[in-house]
Amino acid sequence: MLSRRHFLTSLLTPAILALAPDLISAQEGVFLDEEEAPRAVFPEGTHFEKKVIPSTEDLREKMRGLLGRARPSIWEDAYVTYLARRHGERLGFAVIAEEIGKHRPITFVVGIKPNGKVKDVALMVYREAYGGEVRDRRFMRQYHDKDLTAPLLPYRDIVNIAGATLSVQSIGRGVKKALALAQIVFLDGPGRS
Amino acid sequence: MKRLLALFVVLGIGVTSVGTAFGATLEDLERQLQDLQRQIQQMKEEKQRQDQKLREVEAVQAAQKEEVKKEAASLREQARRVSSELAERVKIGGYGSVRFESNSLKEQSNTFTFRRFVLTADAKPADPMQVYMELEFERFTQLELERKVQPMGGGLTVEEAIEGTDGSEISLEQLWFQYDLYPWLKFRTGQVLVPLGRFNINHDDNRWNIARRSLVDRGVPVLPVKAAWPELGAGFLGDIPLGDLGKLSYQAYVINGVALDAEVEKVLQARGGDTQKLELEAKFSPSRGTANLDMKDSKAVAARLAWSPFPGQEIAGSFYYGRYTPKSLSDESLFAFAIDGLTTIGQFEIEAEYVNTHFRNVDRVARSFGQVAVRNEAENESIAGGLEAEVDFELAGLARNKHGFWIEGRYRFWPEFLTPTVFGKYFENPQLVALLRGEQVWLNGLIRAAEFENGVLTNLDQENRQLYRVATGLAYRPTPLVVFQLAYEYTKTDRGRSLAEVTNFLPAQAGEDEAHAILVGVAFGF
Repeated sequence: MLSRRHFLTSLLTPAILALAPDLISAQEGVFLDEEEAPRAVFPEGTHFEKKVIPSTEDLREKMRGLLGRARPSIWEDAYVTYLARRHGERLGFAVIAEEIGKHRPITFVVGIKPNGKVKDVALMVYREAYGGEVRDRRFMRQYHDKDLTAPLLPYRDIVNIAGATLSVQSIGRGVKKALALAQIVFLDGPGRS
Repeated sequence: MKRLLALFVVLGIGVTSVGTAFGATLEDLERQLQDLQRQIQQMKEEKQRQDQKLREVEAVQAAQKEEVKKEAASLREQARRVSSELAERVKIGGYGSVRFESNSLKEQSNTFTFRRFVLTADAKPADPMQVYMELEFERFTQLELERKVQPMGGGLTVEEAIEGTDGSEISLEQLWFQYDLYPWLKFRTGQVLVPLGRFNINHDDNRWNIARRSLVDRGVPVLPVKAAWPELGAGFLGDIPLGDLGKLSYQAYVINGVALDAEVEKVLQARGGDTQKLELEAKFSPSRGTANLDMKDSKAVAARLAWSPFPGQEIAGSFYYGRYTPKSLSDESLFAFAIDGLTTIGQFEIEAEYVNTHFRNVDRVARSFGQVAVRNEAENESIAGGLEAEVDFELAGLARNKHGFWIEGRYRFWPEFLTPTVFGKYFENPQLVALLRGEQVWLNGLIRAAEFENGVLTNLDQENRQLYRVATGLAYRPTPLVVFQLAYEYTKTDRGRSLAEVTNFLPAQAGEDEAHAILVGVAFGF
């Protein structure tokens, strides 16, 4: 007689194993490419003007001054940024930033409003083995309206994700880095328009 | 060079003039002069050709040198690129933990314990693929094997010696390959962690704030096998966004599964009388499934479904179902389920897990075991050798039903006055964590002894036991990967009964039904 257990396992085993080969298309880890990134944080934008800002020692020094206790794990060679507009009206800036999670860099885009506050954050590439939950929109929503004065730290003003604390901390650091860059280049500096 | 030529010409002219004086004609002189000029011209041309050749050779050599330089630079660049790609593709990490414990037990009042060191490797053969490995060294410092085969006294002598440290274990905790088809559908196969409850899948020591694992997951355990509990199999996992309702996460595997497996213990006993004793004990207890042939010839299934309505909130249900007896015993199944969750309110967190494990027909398994093992104990005294030998067959760790829970409350804070000190100034987000953990376990129908003679079960002694533990402490986390742990814990079982009978970590003596302990530990990840 076939026991319930045997029936269940003999049904599930081939079903699970047979499913795998048919599902070929994959999109692991890469959620947005560079072109899609500014639209992800400014979906209402109609025009995006790309500007690559070289990361000079002078710029890094100014950014350090604004970052407080946050210590970036990566200093990019250059920052890819976009000025977002809707029919000529300036919506804000999108900054692509990277920070190391546990072992690998996490790439994300930060949308910043003209008042220097975060509009939105979206994950572009996640490369770590664990902790990918940080890509959830509802997690990223926690950064809305935060500015450079916010700690952006787990258990302070950001709800942590269990098992992804390093990634949560890294995204906070990266958002601060983007805010500092926007402040120096677009809001205070020559890029102001 | 020009001066030499001029001197040569003058000398030539001089010699020619002397010849003239001896009667040579003017025409002869002129002819000789022209000859000389021609020779000089030829020599000049020859020299120019040689110089040109030399320049050409030098140019070729310089070009070759340049080529070699370029090649070397290109090779260096290639090597750098390869090593950088390799470093990007393969990441080595790990975690480790040590503990100092002082307790009230008579047998052992204090000790350092090297809890474990786990080496991890995480590789990406291609973007949607991943290979992950965890190799654990638990209480491990040394393993040495010596073997000698040599003729001796007209025969052959084989000597074997194993040297190792007490309680040492090397274990492949995880080794899986994953193919991410979609965020909601990832295929994983290999040695995977069984998703029963939340601790087993989040077991890294540096993620926890008390330097001892829970009773439910490790110390008793209520889980069919103590955590970390991996099994060989295949399955799927993924996340399903539910919009405003949050997110579902699942893991579901078909695995070889838990089996009653033998552990052979040898005891050499020096005794007061005229004999010594060699005891061989085959202890059959639930163990993680084999990575070789499945001795049950029956697969198990395990799955966990978690719902997270908001970040920091999660509730999950999970189960395990499969045969736990090897083919040589009667076919009996094991069913376990768990409910677990986490809630975060600002700096306060509550995390909990309840596990219920039911071994079906334990008494029938004992009878069936008796039929196979024939006798639970056999003694033979060899008077001549002065050696008494004893062979025992024992069923261990089996109960009709085990269930229990742990619940842990944590409050994270950081006093600003510590920021300028060494505890704070180097770190971005240092934390102190105050915590309280409560645990309770019930063991119903726990087998104390199974006696059988001539293949017939003659006595099956079962009992109901319970155990609880309360722990409170403070942890310091300079970074999320490192934790310094301090805790007090109180463990208690039924009055007048030994804690050693229901735990696998407390060397309590008979009647020692409670233990107070101070635990100080460090756990780190990298």
